[in-house]
Amino acid sequence: MRGELLAQRGRAVIAPRAVVDLRPYACPLTYVKTRIALERLADGERLELWLAAGEPVESVPRSAEEEGHRVLSVEPLAGRAAEFRVLIEKRAAAPGGLP
Amino acid sequence: MARGPILDDARLARWARQLLVPGFGEGAQERLASARVRAVGADGVTTPALVYLVQAGVGRLWIDDPEPVSPQDVSGGAGSWVYPPSAVGRPRVEVAVEGLARLSGFVAVEPYPTGGVPDATLVAAPSAAQALHAAEAARRAGIPHVVLEPDADGGAVVSIPPGAPCYACARSTSAGRPALPGVAALSALAAQELVQLITAPRSVAGRRLDLVRGVLTNRATARLAGCVCGGGAPQAP
Amino acid sequence: MDLTSKSALVIGAGGLSGPALLVLAAGGVGRLVLVEDDVVETSNLNRQPLFAEADLGARKAAAAAHHLRALFPAVAVEARDARFDSANAVELSRAADVVVDGSDNFATKFLANDAALRARVPLVHGGVLRTTAQLLSVTPGGFGGCLRCLFEAPPPAGEVPSCSQAGILGPVAGFAGALMGAEALRLLAGERGAYEGRLYTFEARGGRSRLVLVRKRPGCAACVGMQPLAPSEAPACEANSSRSGGAP
Repeated sequence: MRGELLAQRGRAVIAPRAVVDLRPYACPLTYVKTRIALERLADGERLELWLAAGEPVESVPRSAEEEGHRVLSVEPLAGRAAEFRVLIEKRAAAPGGLP
Repeated sequence: MARGPILDDARLARWARQLLVPGFGEGAQERLASARVRAVGADGVTTPALVYLVQAGVGRLWIDDPEPVSPQDVSGGAGSWVYPPSAVGRPRVEVAVEGLARLSGFVAVEPYPTGGVPDATLVAAPSAAQALHAAEAARRAGIPHVVLEPDADGGAVVSIPPGAPCYACARSTSAGRPALPGVAALSALAAQELVQLITAPRSVAGRRLDLVRGVLTNRATARLAGCVCGGGAPQAP
Repeated sequence: MDLTSKSALVIGAGGLSGPALLVLAAGGVGRLVLVEDDVVETSNLNRQPLFAEADLGARKAAAAAHHLRALFPAVAVEARDARFDSANAVELSRAADVVVDGSDNFATKFLANDAALRARVPLVHGGVLRTTAQLLSVTPGGFGGCLRCLFEAPPPAGEVPSCSQAGILGPVAGFAGALMGAEALRLLAGERGAYEGRLYTFEARGGRSRLVLVRKRPGCAACVGMQPLAPSEAPACEANSSRSGGAP
């Protein structure tokens, strides 16, 4: 079902190719795991990250953007107080990477 | 190369900083972790390169040096990053293994096993003849190798990916002067070149980096006419 | 050259300052003062030669001093487990014959620049990011500009990746840090610095580097109007040109 369009609450969404729970990790491991997860995706595929509030959610999505990927959404993780779900779309031709 | 251990969280945390460098990712780290590196010569001048190779996470570092730690290793011009003065007289390979292994439990640091075939070689031999011999062995084995030529507080690093002009084509013809402390920069540079050759094999053509008074010049290496590395007849050294 | 009567102040003991300290010690500098308030972390160990696995969790200042003393017992190593800040910067700089700054943030780099100039002590500055390293040395009243001439102000927050986000290759930091140490040895010996008033930039993948004049910026708050310590030897023809130290 991954990659297929799913209807959810009336909105069509593409399921993420991978989900990485970064809540147990601190910098720089958060960045490293994000980068590696993105490396493994093909262009256009999506990565879902679960991030703690504070530095992780403030910096990790921005770093991904700086690497040329698209941050599609940042939402509170269902039922959690200080945790977030971030959806990132990989852009393979990202500036700063090697061809 | 055999596949190395997978990058678990402990390894990711250890090598996080280099994994964040664009172009140096999981694949690069795995190639490094699978690599057996032979270090031909492990004098004081070579120790910075050895430290950086271990810290970068090569799989295995083979120390190939029959000499004892000398007074020049510890307090002569360049000093050493691994041999304390108390080690003078002990075999270099023994003290190097001790001093380097404590830097990283992810790297196997051991005496070079006779006949062992490495995946890459760092040549820091004490004489031109020994350097040529070690470089030629690496060339025939088809493996990337880097030769360190210290000269006062600088010198040269010659990088030889497989198929590139050989060391005999690219080497200095004058002997290096006694090493001075700044030569540690050249040693670190040799480690960088070797890491690059291991992790991005097709990215670098053969080149020679000369460090003189703190400034580097870069020359592509070129095959000498008739050299055996280009298919010419073998010649006496 | 006998440097046993000389003293070097080194800011930090990590990726740049670690190799710089090792080179200074090998060079026979009599006294090394290192200022470092951090703790050894696992991600340090890809590039900081003064620390081993057994040092994880230890105070960097003490661990660095211990390792330096074991390798170079003739050098007096003074470890200051403290932050280099505006309260101690000038005093620490005045007590030294050279300041070597391997810190990893712009606020400290600017402070080191200003303090060394105010203390009238030469400064060796270095920075490393990803596969690129930069070096500059500043001599009070000497040739070329200072760090503030080069960068009018620290880059806005977020423009430069913080150290926590940015990658560093260990041997590249080692190359740069060792060059910083070698430059400091030159300055201590009374020789002309290789990077005095000139920014040296090295990029590791291409193996290329450039040496570019840093002009004194008119009105620079840190260095303008500084009287030289000794008559300047700067050749006039360099004042308006760039000089490359390597292939483009």
